[in-house]
Amino acid sequence: MASMMQPQIILLKEGTDTSQGKAQLLSNINAVTAVGDVVRTTLGPRGMDKLIHDDKGSVTISNDGATIMKLLDIVHPAAKILVDIAKSQDSEVGDGTTTVVLLAAEFLKEAKPFVEDGVHSQNLIRSYRTASTLAIEKVKELAVSIEGKSVEEKKGLLAKCAATTLSSKLIGGEKEFFATMVVDAVMAIGDDDRLSLIGIKKVPGGNMRDSFLVDGVAFKKTFSYAGFEQQPKKFLIPKILLLNIELELKSEKENAEIRLSDPSQYQSIVDAEWNIIYDKLDKCVESGAKVVLSRLAIGDLATQYFADRDIFCAGRVAEEDLNRVAAAAGGTVQTSVNNIIPEVLGTCEIFEEKQVGGERFNIFSGCPSGRTATIVLRGGADQFIEEAERSLHDAIMIVRRAVKNSTVVPGGGAIDMEVSKYLRQHSRTIAGKPQLFINSYAKALEVIPRQLCDNAGFDATDVLNKLRQKHAMQSGEGASYGVDINTGGIADSYANFVWEPAVVKINAINAATEAACLILSVDETVKNPKSQSAQGDAAAGAMGRGRGGGRGRGMRRR
Amino acid sequence: MALAFDEFGRPFIILREQDQKTRLRGIDAQKANIAAGKAVARILRSSLGPKGMDKMLQGPDGDVTISNDGATILEQMDVDNQIAKLMVELSRSQDYEIGDGTTGVVVMAGALLEQAERQLDRGIHPIRIAEGYETASRVAVEHLERIAQKFEFDVNNYEPLVQTCMTTLSSKIVNRCKRSLAEIAVKAVLAVADLERRDVNLDLIKVEGKVGGKLEDTELIYGILVDKDMSHPQMPKQIEDAHIAILTCPFEPPKPKTKHKVDIDTVEKFETLRKQEQQYFDEMVQKCKDVGATLVICQWGFDDEANHLLMHRNLPAVRWVGGVELELIAIATGGRIVPRFQELTPEKLGKAGMVREKSFGTTKERMLYIEHCANSKAVTIFIRGGNKMMIEETKRSIHDALCVARNLIRNNSIVYGGGAAEITCSLAVDAAADKYPGVEQYAIRAFAEALDSVPMALAENSGLQPIETLSAVKSQQIKENIPFYGIDCNDVGTNDMREQNVFETLIGKQQQILLATQVVKMILKIDDVISNSEY
Repeated sequence: MASMMQPQIILLKEGTDTSQGKAQLLSNINAVTAVGDVVRTTLGPRGMDKLIHDDKGSVTISNDGATIMKLLDIVHPAAKILVDIAKSQDSEVGDGTTTVVLLAAEFLKEAKPFVEDGVHSQNLIRSYRTASTLAIEKVKELAVSIEGKSVEEKKGLLAKCAATTLSSKLIGGEKEFFATMVVDAVMAIGDDDRLSLIGIKKVPGGNMRDSFLVDGVAFKKTFSYAGFEQQPKKFLIPKILLLNIELELKSEKENAEIRLSDPSQYQSIVDAEWNIIYDKLDKCVESGAKVVLSRLAIGDLATQYFADRDIFCAGRVAEEDLNRVAAAAGGTVQTSVNNIIPEVLGTCEIFEEKQVGGERFNIFSGCPSGRTATIVLRGGADQFIEEAERSLHDAIMIVRRAVKNSTVVPGGGAIDMEVSKYLRQHSRTIAGKPQLFINSYAKALEVIPRQLCDNAGFDATDVLNKLRQKHAMQSGEGASYGVDINTGGIADSYANFVWEPAVVKINAINAATEAACLILSVDETVKNPKSQSAQGDAAAGAMGRGRGGGRGRGMRRR
Repeated sequence: MALAFDEFGRPFIILREQDQKTRLRGIDAQKANIAAGKAVARILRSSLGPKGMDKMLQGPDGDVTISNDGATILEQMDVDNQIAKLMVELSRSQDYEIGDGTTGVVVMAGALLEQAERQLDRGIHPIRIAEGYETASRVAVEHLERIAQKFEFDVNNYEPLVQTCMTTLSSKIVNRCKRSLAEIAVKAVLAVADLERRDVNLDLIKVEGKVGGKLEDTELIYGILVDKDMSHPQMPKQIEDAHIAILTCPFEPPKPKTKHKVDIDTVEKFETLRKQEQQYFDEMVQKCKDVGATLVICQWGFDDEANHLLMHRNLPAVRWVGGVELELIAIATGGRIVPRFQELTPEKLGKAGMVREKSFGTTKERMLYIEHCANSKAVTIFIRGGNKMMIEETKRSIHDALCVARNLIRNNSIVYGGGAAEITCSLAVDAAADKYPGVEQYAIRAFAEALDSVPMALAENSGLQPIETLSAVKSQQIKENIPFYGIDCNDVGTNDMREQNVFETLIGKQQQILLATQVVKMILKIDDVISNSEY
């Protein structure tokens, strides 16, 4: 207490929360483990969904790790890292977001006893890094390439990958149906990197089997004016004109004002305005287009004008839809109706307006460039379709990654067991502390098959031991054995087509290790008090509680 | 909600405003969700079937709705619970797709949830229950496909369509005149249907209602009915062989859209302006007369001056007709909508054999009938009834009937109603259950039991002994191996739904089973509910 006598040295602003040392490290690990526990149960085909209300009262039901992490609205600084790795996994490979969070949490959990025992965390970090490099090499070594197969064969294989991803989702019951759809969609856009070329449209109603794939573009009927119903609704090989201008009777210049001193000139002004719009419309008609789409409004006058001339038009088409039509039909979006040359007009085999559930859809199919695809999703409830869309997004990403990086590894925990075994063996060859650390890294990898069993309600220990035995076989024939989710036993994942692209696993191991190392390397958190003025009272109140509750046991220094 | 505690038992703050959130997880979450879903189903259960009761709902603004239609009831209830909302959406999506059977699908989902709860108590994993349900629903749908019957109809022989629509209407408040309403619905659909493409655009059928008269006065008009009258009381009330100019421009001097100002500094200039305005009116009316129009229908209004001029020139006119109606009139009369007087040509006029204004009873309200149109692809159903609620409910009932007729034109397969389809599916699913190894078998059996709940509710609502009736019908079905036996709700004296002419569409029934299964799976799959505690 002698220090109390000394004059107080104020280094940081008052109210700043600092916590440091080993205690801080442990508290961070605890927080991360707690977050890992939240998403734990969503893993695998028997994983459950989470229903989350957010502040605004909207609700999401999801199985997707990244979505859940994002919605949890985590404020704990260490735990936030998990959100980031989940997001990065999502943007990098699109799937395996739960896996990466789970792995990171497990790595830290294994590290905790060592930290408690006084191991320096840099030692741990170094060993974890080595282990992850080794693990990734092993994954690459085990991966099987699907390169060099015929297109048909490759499609089948890709569908297997997509099915594995979908099996854990709500639409798992129809995974084959959707897997083929996803593979077709991805194949349709070819090597093009623009994911926006695959459109997903959601139409409530119907059941999921009513979902269909359009080899072109589909979008909902836009707002229409009187006269629209008199337009023809079906064309074979129409010319398509894409515009980004308003076809409406309107003032040409916002701030212009016309002053008339002679009332008899009145009519000429009116005529001039009409002539402008008629001129525009005439040019559209002259171009020979049968379908006119515009991103901006097409007014009632234009609608009726086109109806008179048997032309279909749709105004206020969403930009992404218009771009997709442009890509699919091979046209270019015009910002003026002057000088329309035939090259800028697109075309497709069939254009049709069709009833889908309670909505009418404009469908362009059989497009020449074939570079787009649209999936029209049907489902019983809005939440259902939302979740289905997220699941399909994951599957699309997976297939895309698999197309580019065509190596696959057996899923169902098989690859994790094999890598774990390899690391264990490797650790035996090391003298010194790293042996222990690498061994615990290996143990942490086993969390995937263990969690799969736990979620399915199987005896995890029993299954894991069976798996260990298989993987320990010298011949290596057991290398692709994983959890059999249907029987509660083990099965050859590779033979059962439970496949995932190698890149998912590699990225997951990499990101999880990075996150774990990052958290291990932190020994002090300095948290500034929230600036009072900007956030207002509400935020300040919340912060007050946050500080008072005490994150970690950082001693308040005085 | 606390996710984790440190060694001293203090909670970590991991989430924003963590202490305001509540979390329900594991079996508790499932139980709570199931309870919510069941509660919704229980409300609708008593509305099922011909002897089902109606619900009276009072909206936040004091408006009252009385309905028997599942989708409408749930929509008006304004539920807050998320799981209950799923049930509402379930009903709505049945409404979008099929238009009928919105009550049945919720009752079915409720029954499935109830059965699932029992299985959960046995310790069966929720996802395995859901998977079992999915397998079972596939069995049921295939079975329906097998027992479904096709019937032929054409424009002249539409009796089967009427029978099916009658089944739908029999559960509604309007069942008193179900025969005539069903006929109206079928005729309306046939009038607008494209039998080649098997497509029906229901937008072409306009349903209009007016308080007064009796339900029996409800009629089908091969043409359009507009709730407007002639712009001038002295205009003729009846026009035969009308040539109609359909305008979207007002009878007003044109206004440029650009900002403009007319400087008037002398009396002469004012005079010219005034004269010019008059000239505009004159020209407009003259143009209409020139092309041979005998009636003007305008989307906008016109000045009193123009009105007077029209009257004077003997050109009847109707003003302020809505865009949708205008479009329908254009379609029906084969005319074109004209946006500008300069564009008027004789070819663009619509033709109708008879346009007449009709006034009702002692009120001064009048409506305009446009009949004997050149192209009768647009029709109007005009509903009369004692009060507003009655008319609204009739509209909804007619909508259901129209949807049924449309579905039959799309796919002319039917199954038998009165619970017969559910009972035979239940038998089929039960028989199939034994073929599946594993825990799913129990779920499949539970599905079969849940299917029984629909005929059960039918019997209950009709005042019959539910268990006795169901078991009797079931044994009859098995004994004679005929899937037509259902619950005799109307006490006709026979269980044979073929004789009673109680039909439902195959796609409607299949959709019900699939949708209910889908939503139940979604509910079962949730094991964690994180919410702000105010919810």
